[in-house]
Amino acid sequence: MVQFQERQFMQAVGNAGEINELLRRYGVKFGIYKNGVFHEQFFPFDPIPRVISAVDFASIEKGLVQRVNALNEFLFDIYHEKHIVHDGVIPEDFIYISKGYLAECEGITPKNKIYSHISGIDLVQAKDGEWYILEDNLRIPSGASYPLIARELTRIAAPQAFKENKIVDNRGYAELLKETMEYANCGGIRAILTPGRYNAAYFEHSYLAELTGSVLVQNDELFVEDNILYHRTYSGGKTRIGVLYRRISDEYLDPLTFLPESLIGIPNLMEAYRSGNVGIVNAPGNGVADDKGIYYFVPKMIKYYLGEEPILKNAPTYLPFYEEDRQYVMDKLEKLVIKDVSEAGGYGVVFGSDLTKDKLEGFRKTIAAEPRRFIAQEVIDFLDLPIVDNGETVMRKADLRAFVLSGEKTKVWASGLTRFSRNPDSFVVNSSQGGGFKDTWVLSR
Amino acid sequence: MKRVDLYFSTKLTFDDYVHNHSFALRVIPPETECQNLLSCSLNIQPYVRTDQTIDAFGNNVTAGYLSGEHRFLDFEIKGTAEVDQTKFRTDYMPCYLYQSQYTKPGVSLNAFYSEVKGKCAGSPSERAEALCNALSDVMCYEKGATDITTTAEQAFVLKKGVCQDFSHILISLLRMDGIAARYIAGLAFCDGETHSWVEFWTGDHWEGIDPANNCPVNNDYIVISQGRDFRDCAIDRGVMFGKYTRQLQLVRSILT
Repeated sequence: MVQFQERQFMQAVGNAGEINELLRRYGVKFGIYKNGVFHEQFFPFDPIPRVISAVDFASIEKGLVQRVNALNEFLFDIYHEKHIVHDGVIPEDFIYISKGYLAECEGITPKNKIYSHISGIDLVQAKDGEWYILEDNLRIPSGASYPLIARELTRIAAPQAFKENKIVDNRGYAELLKETMEYANCGGIRAILTPGRYNAAYFEHSYLAELTGSVLVQNDELFVEDNILYHRTYSGGKTRIGVLYRRISDEYLDPLTFLPESLIGIPNLMEAYRSGNVGIVNAPGNGVADDKGIYYFVPKMIKYYLGEEPILKNAPTYLPFYEEDRQYVMDKLEKLVIKDVSEAGGYGVVFGSDLTKDKLEGFRKTIAAEPRRFIAQEVIDFLDLPIVDNGETVMRKADLRAFVLSGEKTKVWASGLTRFSRNPDSFVVNSSQGGGFKDTWVLSR
Repeated sequence: MKRVDLYFSTKLTFDDYVHNHSFALRVIPPETECQNLLSCSLNIQPYVRTDQTIDAFGNNVTAGYLSGEHRFLDFEIKGTAEVDQTKFRTDYMPCYLYQSQYTKPGVSLNAFYSEVKGKCAGSPSERAEALCNALSDVMCYEKGATDITTTAEQAFVLKKGVCQDFSHILISLLRMDGIAARYIAGLAFCDGETHSWVEFWTGDHWEGIDPANNCPVNNDYIVISQGRDFRDCAIDRGVMFGKYTRQLQLVRSILT
């Protein structure tokens, strides 16, 4: 194993410049808004792949399938009978105060009862080898295109690496995504809805559309007539859309149901969706299940819905909402990481160890005033991965976003996005916080 | 039980042509334990095909799409209904216990609630009545001071508003008091426009209260739509394309 990696490092490192140059030429970029100004930045690629053994992957895979199946059951339950609340497993407040819960979606049953078609589950591996779930992303998780294109380019730059090693081909993602979209299709063509080229993930939208043979559309090309979603064609005709993989968030989706000021939505899309005339991937309202406050309850959901023991662990998490947890959080604040449940993308994450005494005290007061707003977690000492920095190999924190696709069966893509922090002192690896990425190699044996 | 004839019309006029106009109307009264529609017709001009769905809150939604150029959209409903407020509605949703966009209290509503909560005691009905009385003592009914975007907090700071504002404030107070409450848009005998009032959850059914008139709801009220606040109940919502246009809306309603 170690031998294998060493050899790959050397080979890949030698070609790093070439791959980054190719990525630049292909326009693999990542856009962020900073102080209200849009910057497009290169998403730095590190040539040393993360390697996951076949045995390790098999257990992660089982755990992820279990978790996503339970989350889908939860979403159906919450938007219908709410048994899990009535049975006292999750306190009502956690559901209805969550910004991700959308009352407008009550009673809607998506085709085949699948809500989260594409789930991006973030994991970290601790130094002892154990994997922990950091968070679930069930709305519109992005990032699958980066390892896809990086692999493609690495194949060109270092063909030998793939000839000599048994690495599972990750090009199957296109087929997997297509299959998943087809399973949600209510009759018509497949389309990917993008807010346009100033979106952070525009590169990905166009790339996935190309790979899956879907039409890349913007809202002004779409309209709902007779309760059916149509694409306006160049010749003035209309084509029915059966499944819409939308890359805009829920609140902008339909100005007649959600934010009336949305200029990127499709009026009456929700009526067509409620009537079962179009599939929406992922379903609106999923935010209630990937809320940081709900995360705490996912292992309980697995037991509740599936009657199984969770295979993958959560990072040890405390809810200040519960009296006993609150005491622990107050006492150990300087050791914990605190997350604001309403923030995403690495924002609203505070490490107790970074705070001065005064700030710690202030934070304790904030938590006491609004206990529902925060979760606290133990800082996991996660495994460092080697990256190349100015020609030297250095160790940095990294996580893994695994992609789980739910169609007729729930499947885990044998690859994933490994993100790392370029700052040696930081645990935050989000791309919006300036990190880079690696390819993730799953070995076939 | 009472039999009533209802009529309601809206005329939307644009000062220039518009096209690709999508709309969603919430105008056909829902059939509930308390109201039974004997007849109801909806006419829309210009002619457009429409589809009916029922939204998450139980409202009838009429959706349509006018692709061609037009300068107006008129719609009217005419019907006859039997109303019986002695029957109980039980369509509870937990979201009604939580503050929503329009009802979220600010400093002044929070302060007001702290002041009056001492007077609140007993059953949800008694508490709702006490809150409604307290609100009537300080709020003044006045047209033109607020508009459809005014929140409960904003109207409360002004101490004036119309039925929509009274409803939002009462809902906010009820929810602060731990009583689930919903916004009702409908028709009542008292005025020639649409009216709004509140329903609160007693623990096993809904009961109506009209904060603008500080009275309970009787058979002279017809529900058209319901939701967490005004946002879920807008009579018409639409998106259209065209040059900058102002729109003029005329509303008329009669209940006899």
